[in-house]
This record gives sequence, C-alpha cells and structure tokens, in this order.
Amino acid sequence: MRYAYFPGCSLSSSGYDYHLSLKYVTKALGIDLVEIKDWVCCGASSAHATSHLLSIALPVLNLSHAEKDGFDQLIAPCLACLSRFKAANVEMEHDADLRKKIHEVFDYKYQGKVKVYHPLEVFLEIGFEKIRERIRKKLKGLKVACYYGCVLTRPPKIAQFDNVEDPQSMDSIVQALGAETMDWSFKTECCGVSMTLTRSDMVLKLSNDILREVKEVGANVIAVACPLCQANLDGRQRQIEETYKTRHGIPVLYFTQLMGLAFGAYPKEVGIQKLITSPLEALGSIGLM
Amino acid sequence: MMSIVFSKENLKLSRDLQTLTGENVMLCYQCKKCTLGCPSAYAMGMKPHELMRAIQLGLDEKIYCSGTIWICLSCETCNTRCPQGINILRVIDGLREISKKFEYYNPYPALPALHRIFIALVKRFGKVYELGLALLINLRMLTPLKDIDMASPMLMKGKLKLLPHISHGAKELRQVMARIRKLEGAK
Repeated sequence: MRYAYFPGCSLSSSGYDYHLSLKYVTKALGIDLVEIKDWVCCGASSAHATSHLLSIALPVLNLSHAEKDGFDQLIAPCLACLSRFKAANVEMEHDADLRKKIHEVFDYKYQGKVKVYHPLEVFLEIGFEKIRERIRKKLKGLKVACYYGCVLTRPPKIAQFDNVEDPQSMDSIVQALGAETMDWSFKTECCGVSMTLTRSDMVLKLSNDILREVKEVGANVIAVACPLCQANLDGRQRQIEETYKTRHGIPVLYFTQLMGLAFGAYPKEVGIQKLITSPLEALGSIGLM
Repeated sequence: MMSIVFSKENLKLSRDLQTLTGENVMLCYQCKKCTLGCPSAYAMGMKPHELMRAIQLGLDEKIYCSGTIWICLSCETCNTRCPQGINILRVIDGLREISKKFEYYNPYPALPALHRIFIALVKRFGKVYELGLALLINLRMLTPLKDIDMASPMLMKGKLKLLPHISHGAKELRQVMARIRKLEGAK
C-alpha cells in the first residue's frame, strides 16, 4: 500500500519521535509512505484566524502536489494538519464560490482526488489481524489512557471518523497490543495548544485537568495521536507540576511508539529517549526497558 | 441593566458576518451548549453564547473589547454541539478576519501578533520555525526568557531545532500568498 505522506512542521522537530515511530510501524505493516514533494506548512490555527482563503489555499497547495504525483491517499499524522486538510477537501467540494477563487490562485487546478487520513484510520483499515501478527512483545500490564485531542473527531462533518464524543479507535488498537485501556471522560478535551506560546497559563490549567484525570483513573501511560498534544502534556508537565504543586510523572507516548515497542522495536528506534517525562518506570514494570 | 435601542444599524454586524462566512447567527436561541462545553469559557469575559447574542444585537465594540475572539482555542467543540448547526468557530474566525477594520481596544494583542509572526515565518521559510516563533513572540510580549525551562530539555533532546528548515516550495507559496492578497484586496 502506498500513501502520500505529509509530515508537517512539528514532525521534523518537536515531534520527531512521532515521525520515527510512524515510519517504523508503517514499514512493519507493509505501508509505503512517500513524502510529498516540496511541502509547505498547512497554516494551522494562524491561517484560519487571518484569512479563510489562505487557510484553504495552504492545504490545497500540498494536496495538488500529491495529486500531480498520482496519489489518491494521503496520511497526515498531526491533528492540526489533518483537520486543515480535511476541511479544505470538504469545502472545495461543497463551496463552488470558494473553489472558483482557489482555482484563480493556482496554476494547477486541484480536482479533489486526494483522500486524507490519520494513521489511526489507516491502521483500522488494515485490521487487527495484521497488527496482531506483527506483535513480538505483548504490552500486558500497561494501563493506557488514550487521549484523542480536539480535532481528530471534531467536527464530525469534516473529520468523518470515529465517535465524536467517546472515540474508540485508538483504544481498540492499544488493546490489540495487549495493554489495558481506561474509560475516562477527557479523551477529546482540548489541551489548549493554540495558546501555548501566548497564554501558557490556560494551557497549564487545561493540561493539568487532563493529567489529573489520567491519574485518577489509574493509568500509568498516556497515548496520544498528535505532536501538539504531546508537546503540551509531556513538555509542559514539569511546569504544570510546579504551578499546581502536584506530582503527575505520567509519560506521554505516541500510540505509534506503543505499537513499535509491541512489534519488537528497540526503544531508540521509536524515539523513546526523546520523551521528557521518563517512561522508565512504566515501561520497565512490564519488562520493556 | 443595559438598554439597547435597536435599529437597522444593529443588523450590520450579523449581516456582514453572514456575507463573509455564510453563517446565520440569528438562528441562535441561547441554549448555552457552546459555553458549557467550551474549555476556555472560564477565561472569557464574554462567554460564547453571549458573543452570539452580542452579534445579533450588533454590539461590535463590546465584542472586540472583551477579547473573547482571541481566547477561543479553535477546538471545534461548540460547532459540534450547536443544535442550530451554527459554525461558531467560523463566525469567530470571521470576526478575527474583520477585526483589522475596527480600532477597538484589544486586551490580548499578543494573540493576533502571534498569528502575524506565524504567517510571516511560513512565508519566509515555507514551514514553521518553532524556536524562532517562540523567541519572536516572547520578545513581543516583553518576556524574553519565558518557557526557557521547557525549551532547554527539548533542545538537549533534539526536539527543538536551532535553525529553520527551508521548504523548496516556499517560492511557490509566496506566489500563492501574493495572489490571495490581490484577490482579497480586489473585493
């Protein structure tokens, strides 16, 4: 299986471990990821707060590159990119006026042929049987809180994936790896990432709420599917602990890192050493490190 | 108690927004679902349902001075839950887009500044330069050392790159951006 791959800005720096582990897992499952030629930023929340046309044009620019190269499926692992790409496809399909304007801006007329997926969608499509076949080390004993973040399932008109308020896709994959997943109510709460540089106080509060709930339900690891969630929950965890005079100490792993470990990867191969909050205790307890 | 003399003038804001975004704010009947699900409502002077009412009444000065449109996290919860199907985030984006036309006081100037810096960096490099973005917005907020405790372990682990990546697509991107500006200016 061959997919166009849009890593996005985060996966080349702060989310490099996501990139590493995604590459490892897709390779193991026989999925070929081909990076889009000359890709540019999707615009994230800054483009849609500035100009609607720009917020559609940036994803379309990348989608056209994929379309020109003959791809009809694209993987975007970062939720900010994913939702911008999906929104661009939906709006280009339904808004004739917008489509006209976008075609005016580009020399190449994007035909809307490239379908956009999150890695979770692709893995579900592949099926649990194939995932189970690859497992070398079951994650038995690991208690995982799957955190989906804000825009993986929202709004349903755009995301068209999983249950919008109580998603299960990541849980089912993590369960297939042999781990236990928790039922909890903050799966799709926002970590506040668009404010991370400007109103960090809000991010600390929202992320603290999430971490507190994770502790409460007794999970020892959080699994995430977005580099921005990871940067907040992991990168800011020490600040959160200092601000709220508490101790969380919960490692925040990408779900692809968990998959990689279960597939028998060395921790370094899937970027475990890059985590800020040490996963040594949690992973050591089940003999993974 | 505030009293409002309602005239045709008051309808201007909601009509302008409908032209720009296609969303009809008049459909809102104040069920407050948006506010109850909003993760940042606690930090807003004007809550999302109050914002909807203020748009219906055309109170643009009150809206912009509250700064609510900049505190919104764009998490899409309100859109998902609105029983009237109003795309509230699109409305807020519309208000952000036309905010430049008004010269009202903005309690959170750092937020639009961040968006401007973000877009400027993307225009220059084609990609986000995370460290540069953080440094520039910190300078803008006059807190140059903010988050240094977070950045240093990230730098040590190679999670933050010192230098920007430059995309080969940056030139094409600049061309597209110039055409968009022309198209939007021609409106």
